[in-house]
Amino acid sequence: MKKILLPFLIYLAFISESSLMQALLPQENNMEWQFIPRFSMVMILFIAMYLNSTYGLVYGLGFGLLTDLLYTDIIGVYLFSMAATAYITSVFSRYLFGNLIVTLLLSIVGVSILEFFVYGLNSLIGISNQMIDMFLYKRLLPTLILNGFFAILIYYPYVKQLNLLKDTLKEN
Amino acid sequence: MPHFFSNKRLIILLVSIIILVALIGFSMKKRESLTLPEQFLKDSAGLTQTIFYKPANTIAGFFENLAEMKQLYKENQMLKARLDEYAKLYVQYEEVKKTNETLKAQLDKEEDLTDFKVREATVIGRSPDQWNQFIYINKGEKDGIKPKMAVISPQGFIGKVTNVSLFQSTVQLISDNDRTNRFSAIVQGERNIFGTIEGYDPKRQALLFKKIPVDAKIKKGQKVITSGLGDVFPPNLLIGEVIDIEPDEVGLTQTAYLKPSADLYDLDHVMVLEREMPAVDESLKEKEEE
Repeated sequence: MKKILLPFLIYLAFISESSLMQALLPQENNMEWQFIPRFSMVMILFIAMYLNSTYGLVYGLGFGLLTDLLYTDIIGVYLFSMAATAYITSVFSRYLFGNLIVTLLLSIVGVSILEFFVYGLNSLIGISNQMIDMFLYKRLLPTLILNGFFAILIYYPYVKQLNLLKDTLKEN
Repeated sequence: MPHFFSNKRLIILLVSIIILVALIGFSMKKRESLTLPEQFLKDSAGLTQTIFYKPANTIAGFFENLAEMKQLYKENQMLKARLDEYAKLYVQYEEVKKTNETLKAQLDKEEDLTDFKVREATVIGRSPDQWNQFIYINKGEKDGIKPKMAVISPQGFIGKVTNVSLFQSTVQLISDNDRTNRFSAIVQGERNIFGTIEGYDPKRQALLFKKIPVDAKIKKGQKVITSGLGDVFPPNLLIGEVIDIEPDEVGLTQTAYLKPSADLYDLDHVMVLEREMPAVDESLKEKEEE
């Protein structure tokens, strides 16, 4: 895979989050459960796990800033959370062998770290007023299921491409 | 993990937290307009969203149709019953409209506070995290949209335009919990009761209608509309219906819970309203200043 294609792919995932929220999930979100797509974060977590931690950190910073500018009113929340999440996940992945189950587990852990960071910061600023029990049960759980499915869906093609990219990076 | 926090990393972490706080502080003050790079980013993202929006909507529409088919018969029965009511109301409406026009003509009054210009727009995206309740529409500065304009869906008032770039703009829904997202509203009744809409309660899925005088008597099912005070929104836009009332923490005012009349989750086409006449006559203002 060409190096230039990677940010483009993540950008597509990033935009699809917003479209998905608008078109496919309105009924579901009106009810009890909140399914929050974090597809760009999952893809960045894969980079942090399979490529290297610096790449993960840089992509986390970049797409965090983009999320802040485009989808929220306040700059800094996602910038910090996404970069920190990518870094923490890359540290974890050093101690674990990379297969489907471990990757799925780490993606789920990563997405929940991100959710906790964003929830904490937003509560601090006063944007969110959800109680912690509601957050855990009605928001975190469905979100993890949705993003877990996404991680399984992209695992085989995406990891293959990332490994190819890693080889070309080593050669240079 | 002994190497998780070496000295260097600890310093980097501290510095980044300081930067984080500074950035949040900077962006929390309300800005009137966006900077150029922000506008450029929003426009290019808006373009991609427009491409994505069409196929996503087609697929969603298909499933929605399937779900709707089940209820079609029941709905048809109900609508038939409503049709008679409509005919009666229409006759009344025509009569009232005519009287209003003659009265206006007698008064020589052409412009009205309630007049507004309507612009149609399509929703191309939505803020994916549910903390921020923003939607993005495909009309921007080029089409004459300005910040603070009111946005409605066919069912009622949904929010206001917060920032505008050239080809797209951001709409903050009334359910957003931002502390600047407040506006005055009235309970329709024999006497108008004033209050402000301040945020959303996710647990009860209702808007919070606060600062109602403690002696005001409000019944469940009463309609709440925008007041039109404050120079920004046109009056008489339907916001919602009272579902519950309780005294607030201190007991000096009351808080009512409103069920929004518009479905804030299923928005496709919205209308942006521009007030044609400012509430205060500019010439009068100048005279006062002299």
